[in-house]
Amino acid sequence: MSLRTQRPALRRALVALAALPLLATAACGGTGTEDGASGGQGTCEKSDGKVELTYWSWIPGVEKAVAEWNRQNPDIQVSVKSTPNGNAGTYQNMSNALKAGNAPDLGQIEYDSLASFRLQEGLTDIASCAGVKEAEDDFVKWTWSQVTFGSGGEDGVWAVPQDTGPMALFYRKDLFEKHGISVPKTWEEYYEAAKKLKKADPKAYMTHFSQTDPNWFSGLLWQKGASMFGQDGDTWKVDVDSPAAGEVADYWQKMIDEKLVATDLQGFSPALYKAWNQGEVATWVSAAWGYSTIRDNAKATSDKWGVAPMPQWSAGDNAAGNWGGSTTAVLGKSEHPYEAAQFALWLNTDPKALEILNREGGLYPAATQGLELEALRQPVEFYDGQKIFDVFADASKNVTTDWTFGPTMTDTYRFLGDGIAGALGGEGTLEDALTQADAKTVDSLEKQSLEVAK
Amino acid sequence: MTVDRTAAAAAPPVKNTAVPAPPRRRRNWAPAFFLLPFFIPFILFTLVPVGYAFYQSLLKTERTGGTFGRKTTVFAGFEQYKEVLGDPEFLGSVGRVVLFGLVQIPLMLLLALTLALLLDSTVARLKRFFRIAYFVPYGIPGVIAALMWAFLYDPRLSPVVELLDKVGSAPDFLGSSMMLWSIGNIVTWTYTGYNMLIIYAALQAVPGDIYEAARMDGASEAKIAWRIKIPILRPALMLTGVFSIIGTLQLFTEPQVLRSISTSVTSTYTPNLAAYSLASSDNYSEAAAMSVTLALATFVLSFGFLKFTGRKAES
Repeated sequence: MSLRTQRPALRRALVALAALPLLATAACGGTGTEDGASGGQGTCEKSDGKVELTYWSWIPGVEKAVAEWNRQNPDIQVSVKSTPNGNAGTYQNMSNALKAGNAPDLGQIEYDSLASFRLQEGLTDIASCAGVKEAEDDFVKWTWSQVTFGSGGEDGVWAVPQDTGPMALFYRKDLFEKHGISVPKTWEEYYEAAKKLKKADPKAYMTHFSQTDPNWFSGLLWQKGASMFGQDGDTWKVDVDSPAAGEVADYWQKMIDEKLVATDLQGFSPALYKAWNQGEVATWVSAAWGYSTIRDNAKATSDKWGVAPMPQWSAGDNAAGNWGGSTTAVLGKSEHPYEAAQFALWLNTDPKALEILNREGGLYPAATQGLELEALRQPVEFYDGQKIFDVFADASKNVTTDWTFGPTMTDTYRFLGDGIAGALGGEGTLEDALTQADAKTVDSLEKQSLEVAK
Repeated sequence: MTVDRTAAAAAPPVKNTAVPAPPRRRRNWAPAFFLLPFFIPFILFTLVPVGYAFYQSLLKTERTGGTFGRKTTVFAGFEQYKEVLGDPEFLGSVGRVVLFGLVQIPLMLLLALTLALLLDSTVARLKRFFRIAYFVPYGIPGVIAALMWAFLYDPRLSPVVELLDKVGSAPDFLGSSMMLWSIGNIVTWTYTGYNMLIIYAALQAVPGDIYEAARMDGASEAKIAWRIKIPILRPALMLTGVFSIIGTLQLFTEPQVLRSISTSVTSTYTPNLAAYSLASSDNYSEAAAMSVTLALATFVLSFGFLKFTGRKAES
């Protein structure tokens, strides 16, 4: 009852309290538009005096390569910050730092995230910086097409390619031998091999179908030439559920339906590693960097794995997909684009730098001469002395150039992953997953106010 | 309540005669001062962020000059809310947590109540030990608990599943049909002890002579529990009920952690996961609208629950 008498005062207090955050946010939100550092003004001048650059990267041991640069270039000192993987928080931090205006000069960005950073006005066009355009021939073709957004430099150069993930087939030699299976050269043979394996050992699976690695699945689409996106001027073409992609989806759906692939093993999970160690999973179609994933997590299978080219859609082809890989980008508000570009070029083409990045971080270089690295021509102990990188070097040359990532790849991957969860759980098919991902991607592009071709 | 009323009724006349008008006009700032330590962080870390989220939710992105042109945010009214409410994935996630709540909350509270009553009964031994033992799971960080359970659920890693498979056949804990209830099990394991403690504390506050009187009248322990303790516990049960409703709608840690090991959790499994996914793909406005909608839903459900249980108490 005393409450009743106090009510007006209470109400006034509540109203005041409620209004407070609005006032505060009105103050914070005063600048609704973001400054457009659209880059590409065509001025890439050398700065005077000593320059200090900052660089974010998650390559293990990258600081050793940076130390080498700092030794050679006393006037351009780079300090590197080790960050978690891009999608594990670093991209988020980079976006926030770009918004706040305190982003580093350079950052590691994967190919599939370049467009979304350019969309946020987070990249600097370094085409006019000395040596950048000339570097085109130093890199594997498709990587240059990625950093120039397919324009070959007409529309700017937005990053320097760093490493790639050309795909091949990791397979268990011992299991194949035991069950009399020969290494599949085509996807049809791969399917037959899977059936043979299941027949011989009902507990074994040909491979696992990961749900959290939609970029693995897009690597399979890449090999098929089923580019998920296209760009026509300012209009985006979303083609996630193209007929070619549908073929790939149907093929794997058949594998799922006939229980030839494990549907309950998440990628990079302890359960997967245990299954590898116990010989329950016989193959993995994966990228060059995958060699260390197997080596470090399936120690019991030493000398039992071999590497062969990716199975083909038609016999006699030699197409490869790509899974992963990064670039070094000069970020939107860097004051020293010239020096930053010089560092990025050095880091990714200098033989010594490439050697360090390969030895410490296991990077598979995007630079063509990097493929000739001594370390990449040696027999690899874990793989029974096979020169596995020869296979990846061939794959690297055969990765389809014509592939476009969308500007909201995080969303597209997420939609695809959600659909794959359904397909693996028996609710829907991979074909449905593609259809839904397509529709939702169109929706998400429109929310970002981008033009989409109908 | 009754004590307050009589005191209030008795006090004013005395006060009026002893001290006339002046003190009534003089403002007493002391209580306000003592409230500051609560209100300052509350304003800074709760109201301001909520207000900012609300502000963000009223915006949308626009672009001029083509794909990689200039990006601006403009006022869009309630457009984002329309998106959120028309998003079948979001509605599905709400439906999922509501179903979860309808099953898990009553089960957990019943369990907590039973444990509290057992601990409070005269026959209980080792009370101090059990009180702590039940409470320990709550002290384990959510991520660690979820990881631990994930390992216990995984058919290839779990000794439990192995054992169940030997006896009969273990359910597919990480499959899409069981997932929700596997999460429910983790939540129950974590929070039963916490809720039990709140209920138990409420029991401790009951003066012993009530029980003594009941016993003198020949009531059994079971009867005392049913007729006296449970009615007295109503406010404590309502409180734990509201906490549980809030916690359920905001489920995040468990599904997020289980994603790394199970293939059946989508990025929109719970409303909070859905908002998180949107925010990490640079769609802050819709994520904000989703969060505000979720906050409102939590508010409505919590108060609805209080109103509902309160009315029941009166009748």
